[in-house]
Amino acid sequence: MEYFLALTTSGIAVGVLYGMLGMAYAVIYKSTGVVNFAQGEVMMLTAYTAYAIASLWDVGFWTLLISVTIIAIFVGLFIEFVFIRPMLGQEVFSIVMVTIGLAVAIRAIVVMIWDADPIPFPSGLPGDTVSVLGVGMYKSQVYSIIVFLALVFIMWVFLRFSRIGIAMRATANLQTTALLMGINVKRVFAIAWGLSAMISAVAGIFIASVQDLMPDMWFNGLKAFPAVIVGGLDSVFGAALGGIIIGLVENYAEGYIGFNLKEIAGFIVILIVLMIRPYGLFGKEEIERV
Amino acid sequence: MLKVTNAQIVYDNVIEAVRDVSFEVRDSQIVALLGSNGAGKSTVLKAISGVLYPEDGEVQSGAIEFDGHSLLGSAADKIVRSGIVQVPEGRQLFDELTVEENLLMGGYTQPVSVVKQNLEKVYDLFSRVAERRSNIAGYLSGGEQQMVAVGRALMSDPKLLMLDEPSLGLAPQIIEEIFQTIVNLRKERDVSILLVEQNARLALEVSDYAYIMENGRVVMDDEPAKLLENEDVKEFYLGFSDGGTRKNMRDVKHYKRRKRWLS
Ligand SMILES: Nc1ncnc2c1ncn2[C@@H]1O[C@H](COP(=O)(O)OP(=O)(O)OP(=O)(O)O)[C@@H](O)[C@H]1O
Ligand SMILES: [Mg+2]
Repeated sequence: MEYFLALTTSGIAVGVLYGMLGMAYAVIYKSTGVVNFAQGEVMMLTAYTAYAIASLWDVGFWTLLISVTIIAIFVGLFIEFVFIRPMLGQEVFSIVMVTIGLAVAIRAIVVMIWDADPIPFPSGLPGDTVSVLGVGMYKSQVYSIIVFLALVFIMWVFLRFSRIGIAMRATANLQTTALLMGINVKRVFAIAWGLSAMISAVAGIFIASVQDLMPDMWFNGLKAFPAVIVGGLDSVFGAALGGIIIGLVENYAEGYIGFNLKEIAGFIVILIVLMIRPYGLFGKEEIERV
Repeated sequence: MLKVTNAQIVYDNVIEAVRDVSFEVRDSQIVALLGSNGAGKSTVLKAISGVLYPEDGEVQSGAIEFDGHSLLGSAADKIVRSGIVQVPEGRQLFDELTVEENLLMGGYTQPVSVVKQNLEKVYDLFSRVAERRSNIAGYLSGGEQQMVAVGRALMSDPKLLMLDEPSLGLAPQIIEEIFQTIVNLRKERDVSILLVEQNARLALEVSDYAYIMENGRVVMDDEPAKLLENEDVKEFYLGFSDGGTRKNMRDVKHYKRRKRWLS
């Protein structure tokens, strides 16, 4: 039982990070129909940016988190404006290709600026453990779960009640009608990219504090992808939950079966889910036709 | 206030949907734009609203002016801000959003305080919409949806309201109600109305002036009373001599629409 609980808590701790990255994917996909294959790279770029800030000024964790998320919003807006906006009106496929190119470019830039060696990340998070349900957890893991829940709540309030949030859902629902209502659809797209980068930045800071900064940390973006597929590409909260499911499955697979199954467990879950519900657990049926 | 002059509109650079269309809507007029399937009516409305580009459509020549300013090349949100709003064909509600969220989006260009007032006005106008305010719009009946669509358009305080086949697929009683609302709107709020219809008889009853389109051209325009007398109009649009034709055209239309939904 204790073993199971330990696997569960650490599974959730990993899962919330996948969940954040999943939300980041879903926010963009839902409003623009584009899968951003540079999501992991955006996360990496913001994590390195956080490192630059943390090594310049001695800031605490919360200051770092908030300042980096704000910077990340501008990174997202910048990417949208420079790389994505000129592609508007092109086929979705071409835009997806641009995100792949962007991914490669960001990896190169990160290595150019910060070299390829691992860098310990001064996150300012406490390194000690606490006991949760009788299982030892790092405080940083507890923090990541709390921040994840806060993020989900903020996104829910934003999408449910704010004018821009409702406009995002309206645009995702019927783009031409959104135009007819006077919604500036281009701005909605830009905001989606900004928000998505913001969410990935939060994930990036936690991932960096667990794994150190490395130029291959973008790989977490790929590992989080099953979360979005499981939850449904167009469901922000489905993706969040999907992340936790993937985190748990990975951990149970590793803990009870072994053989490095962790690395592929997520993709096996995708296969099973897609066989039962081709549009993900929380996605809408239309997706399958696209 | 709205003036379209020799508009030629093309989709995908080759499909000429509108060849040569000119018409005018004056202050606080109700103008009907009539014509059968594929005449190009919706295309004209899309051009006015600036939403041709998602369908690869383009105004190739001619002019569209509103209060003396050209609308060509204006962004859709600017056009709404200038006072033109459209109730699109088939209502096009945000079917995943609630009724109230739909209305709020209609007021997207307005300041929050105005949105609140307009919301109350819409609820006063359509009590059935008020009752359904927190329902998901996609689950409403056709008539209720059309009321939401009209209410949503009114949220932007338009000077010119364009309605694309508001009677489509509705029971006669509901159509009556919608048309009554349109007439009242002009009377009470001084809104000009451009009414696109296939239901010519109904549209001619309420309008001050009417244009008839065929194959991308305006082929006739006159006061409704005169058009109602015209033999061709009687035959082709009011179905006096051959009721069967009209019925067939309706069927064709439904078939076409269903196909569009599936693709
Ligand atoms: N997106 C599009 N791409 C290519 N051709 C189009 C497109 N939309 C409309 N057309 C064509 O343009 C012509 C005019 O279409 P439009 O929808 O404006 O007609 P309409 O008068 O509104 O007809 P209806 O009464 O059936 O709604 C038709 O021949 C139609 O096939
Ligand atoms: Mg039409």
